[in-house]
Amino acid sequence: MGALFHDPILLAIVLGTNLPFLSMAVILLFTRSNPKLSSQISVGAILVSAVSAIYLLAKLHCASPLQYQTLWFSSDKLLIAFGYYLDPLSLLMLTIVGVIACLVQIYSLGYMAGDPGYSRYYAFQSLFAWAMLNMVIAGSMLQLFIYWEMVGLASYFLIGFYYEKWSASQAGKKAFVMNRVGDVGFFLGLIWLVIGFGNLGIPELNHAAATQGLPQHVLTVAALLIFCGVIGKSAQFPLLTWLPDAMEGPTPVSALLHSATMVAAGVYMFSRIFPFFSASPDAMAVALAIGTITMLLSGTMAMVTYDLKQVWAYSTVSQLGMMVMALAAGGYFAGVFHLTTHAGFKALLFLCSGIFIHEFHTNDMRIIGKKGGRRLKIPMACIAVGALALSGVFPFSGFFSKEAILGVLAAQPNKIWLAAALLGAVMTAYYSFRLIFHLLFPKDGIEEKQHEEHGHSSHGHEEDHHGYIFWAMAIPVMILAGVSLVLGFVEHPIEHFLIGHIVEAHPVAHGAEHGGGEWLMIMGVSAGLLGIAVAWFEFGRKGASRKGFLSYFPAVWKLFDRRWFLDIFYRKSLDTFVYGGLTSLFTKNDRRVIDGGIDGICFFTEGSGRLFSFLQSGMLQYNLLMMVLAAGVAVLYLLF
Amino acid sequence: MDTAGLDILNQAGFWAMVALTVAGASIAIFPRNILYNVLGLALCMTAIAAIYVFLGSLFIALMQFLIYVGAICIAIVFAIMLSRPLHLEMPPRPASKVAMATAAAVLFFVAIVGVVLKTDWTPSAARVADSSLWSVEAIGRALLTRYELVFEVISLVLLVAIIGAVITAGLSRRLSS
Amino acid sequence: MNSLSTYLIISALLFSMGLMGILQRRNLIGMLISVELLLNAANLNFMAFNRFLAPDPVIGQIIALFVMGLAAAEAAIGLSIILALYRKMHSINIERAQRLKG
Repeated sequence: MGALFHDPILLAIVLGTNLPFLSMAVILLFTRSNPKLSSQISVGAILVSAVSAIYLLAKLHCASPLQYQTLWFSSDKLLIAFGYYLDPLSLLMLTIVGVIACLVQIYSLGYMAGDPGYSRYYAFQSLFAWAMLNMVIAGSMLQLFIYWEMVGLASYFLIGFYYEKWSASQAGKKAFVMNRVGDVGFFLGLIWLVIGFGNLGIPELNHAAATQGLPQHVLTVAALLIFCGVIGKSAQFPLLTWLPDAMEGPTPVSALLHSATMVAAGVYMFSRIFPFFSASPDAMAVALAIGTITMLLSGTMAMVTYDLKQVWAYSTVSQLGMMVMALAAGGYFAGVFHLTTHAGFKALLFLCSGIFIHEFHTNDMRIIGKKGGRRLKIPMACIAVGALALSGVFPFSGFFSKEAILGVLAAQPNKIWLAAALLGAVMTAYYSFRLIFHLLFPKDGIEEKQHEEHGHSSHGHEEDHHGYIFWAMAIPVMILAGVSLVLGFVEHPIEHFLIGHIVEAHPVAHGAEHGGGEWLMIMGVSAGLLGIAVAWFEFGRKGASRKGFLSYFPAVWKLFDRRWFLDIFYRKSLDTFVYGGLTSLFTKNDRRVIDGGIDGICFFTEGSGRLFSFLQSGMLQYNLLMMVLAAGVAVLYLLF
Repeated sequence: MDTAGLDILNQAGFWAMVALTVAGASIAIFPRNILYNVLGLALCMTAIAAIYVFLGSLFIALMQFLIYVGAICIAIVFAIMLSRPLHLEMPPRPASKVAMATAAAVLFFVAIVGVVLKTDWTPSAARVADSSLWSVEAIGRALLTRYELVFEVISLVLLVAIIGAVITAGLSRRLSS
Repeated sequence: MNSLSTYLIISALLFSMGLMGILQRRNLIGMLISVELLLNAANLNFMAFNRFLAPDPVIGQIIALFVMGLAAAEAAIGLSIILALYRKMHSINIERAQRLKG
């Protein structure tokens, strides 16, 4: 306890990561009936977290990795430590999570105003922040896993926040179950690791010499199993369909959890034990393939939907796939940097969309455009900034991180990954600007006249009445837009900060990052511009069809729109395998083994009861006979 | 009469009593008529009382005769009179039951005899050969000094038994009638 | 004089006969009679030990007296139970008294 107060760093860690939990407890226990106080407590706690995260980053940015740990439990030779591990990666992620969570909570002050579940919302937000912050600085994989699950729990609560809505509660369940599928693999991987490696400490795992001693197959199996966790959490193929459904939650939740931080947890975990993963080339190849498939699939899905949030959801999945690609290709820095920039601009995009949704009470981009979405100048400008960043256009942050990823992929011997990434970039730009042009240039012009009187008066009224609400939402958005603008220019400081201590693991990839060459940059930018141009041609210019070229291929449209029938495939396989196969097996198991077992036990008890009740004949003399015989035998036995 | 002749007589009397005991016990357990059993028991008890005399305690022999033959056997006869009419024929015993009982008894007998023969019985060192110790007076003194508590407890047990017997027999009569 | 073992074997014989009686008799009174035999066998043992082994011959006699007292109590209780049972079941056959049969 004394050490806690004498060490400002430890104090900052403990306070910063655990205050949100305290605020959740206080909200749930005491202040549920007082929404305003609840939100103030929660925002206060997360502010402390954000400030302490920034403080830690500033204080430790040039120090060697810092580790606090105590022995949690030991079993034979297995020692599980519980503690904090602060290296550049976790500091960076801590800051991202802290700052974005803080901005989102401030934003929610406006967005969620008047919601009946206001206190509950903030309680869950705090729970999420607590779990996520602790996960980021966890010192061992087991600890990381615990908070990982807590994050999943918070996500479940927040997706199903409008639990009275059927689809929302279904989406929550879906997210939870799909995450579990991945987490089972993750957990098995950890067990495998305990058996094979005997230690779950993150620094130990990342120590090159330690993993070198392991047989390759152990390493590969462990890496693949742990990668299952990444697949679940970061919505990679084949578990990618939960994320678009998760948009049923409130928009700030989508911004925080399902774009910027929580889904990035998978990627974060990947990069957390990156040296461990990279010790197994097979696992890395699988990860690369999965990342690529995910990116392309979700990119196509985003091209056809009209739902504002769905577009960004698919885009998130796609970008996460890109990060996995970068990491799997050995580009540690590229992946993490894209994670960083993506957190910024995707939160921005979601929050902007949230403003539109809050204003127009619809998710359909066509209707928002028609009702005059472009009149909301601040969010319109910010969403454009976000879209430009997402598309990888020059001065915005996405440009730099995408260049880094392309550089890594170009260093791969097989150029197909690079081609896929470029195709992904084209699609990204296309669907982003499809959305932007829908908002800016609605098909039949803005319906000014018929909504003039009514719409304007109510609008103005709302503006007056909700001025505070609007600005609570607008200020975080503007901050994020600013971040998206400048983040790209600090690429090299961040790279130095991150790579400084990990460079020896991958000299090749590191070299490739720098030796990418100009043609890559040109290709990247031109891919983005190509996408934008196509979008302009179809949606932006005067007299454009506003249908999208995909509508000429109904089958393809349908394929993309129905998410490549993945859900139907899951449903079908669920029906056949789980309900038809497993469930009936379980039912049979239930009937035969469990019921039968219990019946058997009953039968056995009854039977043996009958058997022994034969002895219990009520015949005093037989009891006595047995007694005498036993006594006689005992005496004889003792005698001889 | 010389001592040897006395001794032989003594021995003959002892074994006669043993024979009577065994015969009485046999009559007590084997015949199916319950009245014979009681008479056998009385015979057996009397013979055992005689054996007690051989063991040097006339007082206990008298008590044995008094309590068993005079009290318990009479009580049993009363019970017989109060319960089942004697003229009803009892069905013969199942042979298997008799066999099992015999086997158990023989097993137990063998075990006990084994114990008896295997044990090295050592008499107490401080044995006082004083005939006054066997007197009734000595017993009475011990009962009212050293063993007084036990004596009182026994009387309490007897009292409880009497009350219990009255209640068990009397209450059940009231319940059944 | 006869040795201790003689008495002990006689008492063992008596005990076994009592045991045989108690195991085969169906008449409850018959069983009670056998129980008396058992008690007497025990008593005989006490008296024999008293005669041959005990430092003070008073003790064994007193124990024998107590056993007799307990036997009297046991007989009184047993007989009253038998009477109660007879009134309830109109039989003193132990094989009929098996309402507790499983």
